[in-house]
Amino acid sequence: MTAQQINKWGLVLFALFTLAAPLILPLFIDAFWVDIYSEMLIWSLLAASVNLLFGYVGLLSFGQALFFGMGMYGVAIGVAKLGLGFWPALGLGIVLSTAMSAFAGALAVRLTWHYFAIITVVFSLIFYFTALSWKPLTGGDDGLSFSMPPMLTWGEDGELSLTDPTVQYYFIITMVGLCYVLMGVILKSPLGWAFRTVRENAMRASLIGLNVYLIRLTAFIVAGFIAGMAGALFAFFGRYASASYMFYHVSGEAVVWAIIGGAGTLLGPVVGTSLLIMLREELSTLWEHYLLLVGVIVILVVVFAPKGIGGLWHGLVNKVAKPAPDAVDAKDGEDRS
Amino acid sequence: MELVIALGMNGIVWGLIIALIALGLSIIFGLLDIINIAHGDFFMVGTVLAWAVFEGTGNYWLAFAIVPIIGFGLGALIEYAVIQPIKNAAALSIVATFGLSIILQESVRATYGAAPSRLTAPIETTIPLFGLEYEVYRLFAAFISVVAIIAFFIFLHRTKMGTWMRAVRYDPETATAMGIPARRVYQITFAIGFAMAALGGVVAGPITTVDFQAGVDVLPFCFMAVIIGGLGNLEGTVAAAVMLAFFEGVMASFADPTMARIGSLCLMSLVLLIRPHGIFSGATR
Repeated sequence: MTAQQINKWGLVLFALFTLAAPLILPLFIDAFWVDIYSEMLIWSLLAASVNLLFGYVGLLSFGQALFFGMGMYGVAIGVAKLGLGFWPALGLGIVLSTAMSAFAGALAVRLTWHYFAIITVVFSLIFYFTALSWKPLTGGDDGLSFSMPPMLTWGEDGELSLTDPTVQYYFIITMVGLCYVLMGVILKSPLGWAFRTVRENAMRASLIGLNVYLIRLTAFIVAGFIAGMAGALFAFFGRYASASYMFYHVSGEAVVWAIIGGAGTLLGPVVGTSLLIMLREELSTLWEHYLLLVGVIVILVVVFAPKGIGGLWHGLVNKVAKPAPDAVDAKDGEDRS
Repeated sequence: MELVIALGMNGIVWGLIIALIALGLSIIFGLLDIINIAHGDFFMVGTVLAWAVFEGTGNYWLAFAIVPIIGFGLGALIEYAVIQPIKNAAALSIVATFGLSIILQESVRATYGAAPSRLTAPIETTIPLFGLEYEVYRLFAAFISVVAIIAFFIFLHRTKMGTWMRAVRYDPETATAMGIPARRVYQITFAIGFAMAALGGVVAGPITTVDFQAGVDVLPFCFMAVIIGGLGNLEGTVAAAVMLAFFEGVMASFADPTMARIGSLCLMSLVLLIRPHGIFSGATR
C-alpha cells in the first residue's frame, strides 16, 4: 500500500470507530468512556483551532480560550438569561465568537511571532477578568448553569433533546465532524495553500501578490469560529459555562495538545488531545500527582519528537509504505491526513 | 488621599520586586530566545523555599542568602535537561516550559501542600511616612530589589561573564568564534534568571501568600513589563515594571483590583499595537 492509502484506511477506521463508539465502548470498558470520548472530540476542536493558526499559517496564538469562552457564554447566556431555544443559542455562541475573532484578529494579525503570541494572551486575559467580575451576567467564578432546551419538538410531547445521551453523542460528533470537513476543504483549496505560503515565507508571499494581512485575518477568523464551536458544544455538553475556561492555562493546554499531536497535520490535534485527556482520566484516579507525569511526557515529546505524534506516524507510514506510483515526493504526504 | 499614597507606595514596592523577576525573564528571552512560561513558577519556588528555610531554621534572613543559590543550581540543571535539547526552536520552548511549569507546580503541591499560608515579615515595625504608618519591611523589600537590580547591571557591564553575555546576545556565532563558551554562557544566564526570580520570591514572601499557584498571577505581569519595556531592553523592563505596578496601585485605590488589572491590560495592548518595540524603543538596544 502507498502512504496515502494507509492514511485513508486509517481515517476510515477512525470514522467507523467514532460512529460505533456508543455501541462498542460499553462492551469493553465503562460506559462513561462514551462521554469522555465526546469530551475529547470537543476539546480537540480547540486544539485544532490552534493548529490551524500555528501549523498552517505560522501564528502561535495563546488566546484561543477567548473564543472558546465566547461560544460557551453565548450558549449559556442565550439559554439562561435570554430564554433562547437550542438553535438560536448555538447561533448566538458562534456569532459572538466569530465576531470577537474578527475584532481581535483585525488588531492582532498586524503583529507576528512573539508579539502575536503575547497580544492574544493579553486579549484573552482582558475578557477573562471581565467575565470574572461581571457576575450578574456571567456568574463569575461560580459559573452559569442552565437546563437544556429541546432541539426539536413536534406534536403534543414529541421532542428531540440532548438530555438523551445517544442524541447528544451523535449531535456532538456531527458538529465536530463538520468542523473537520470544513478545515479539510479549506486546507485543500487555494486559500489553504496561501496559508502555507504565508507560513513558509510571508515576505515572498506578499511579493507574489498575496495579501498577507487578509490571509492571516481569514485564518484567524476561521480558527475563532472553530474554537467558538468547541465552546458552544462544551456548554451544551456540561450545561454550564464558567470564566475559568477562559483563563490562559486553557489556551496553553490547547497549544500543548496541538504540538504533541503534531502541528500541521489535520488530525494531529485529535490524537494529542485524546492522549492527554485519556492520561488524565486514567492516572488521576491512580495517583494524585499524575500531573508530574504529564509534564514529563510533554517535555519528552518536545525533546525527542518535535514534530509530535503526527510526525512520528508519518515517518512510520513512509517507512512501511511503498512509494506512490507517481512518486511526487515524500514531503507531499506530510500535510495530508 | 492617604489611601492613594499607600496604594501608590505599595505599587512602587511591588513594581520593584516585579522588575527583579521580569529582569530574569528578559535576559532569558533576550539571550536564549526562550519564551519562559515557567518563570512565574520560578518565583513561586522562591517563596516556597523561603518558607522552608524559615520553617527549618527559624531565621528568615538566611533565606535571602540560601534561596538564590538553590535557584541558581536548579536553573543550571533545568537548562541542561530541558532547554539545551530544544535550542533553536522557540515555538517548542513555549511547550517545554509549559511542561516545566506543570512539573514545578505539581511537585510543590506534592511536598508543600495545596493550602496557601502566610509568612510573617522579619521586620514588623512601622514608621510614619506621608502621614501614614508604613510597614518597614516593604521599604526593606524595595531596597533589596534595587540593590539586586543594580548589582545585576554592574555584573553585566563590569565583569568578564557579563561582557560574554552581551557578546553572545549581540552575535552568538562571532562570539563563539572568538572563543567565548556560548553554551556555558547560556546555562549561566538561565541560572541567573532563575536565581533572580527566586530572590524575588524571598523578598515578596512576607508580602504575598505562599501558594503553589502564586506564579500564575505573576507571570502575565512580568510579560507585560518585558513587552512594554521593549523585548530585550533591560533598563526598559525595570522602568515598565515600576510604572505598571504604580499605575495599578493608584487605579486600585478608586476601582476594584480586577478593574485595575483590566485597565493595565488595555494599556498594554495599546502599547503593543502602537509601539510594538516598547515605549522606550530608539533609546538603547
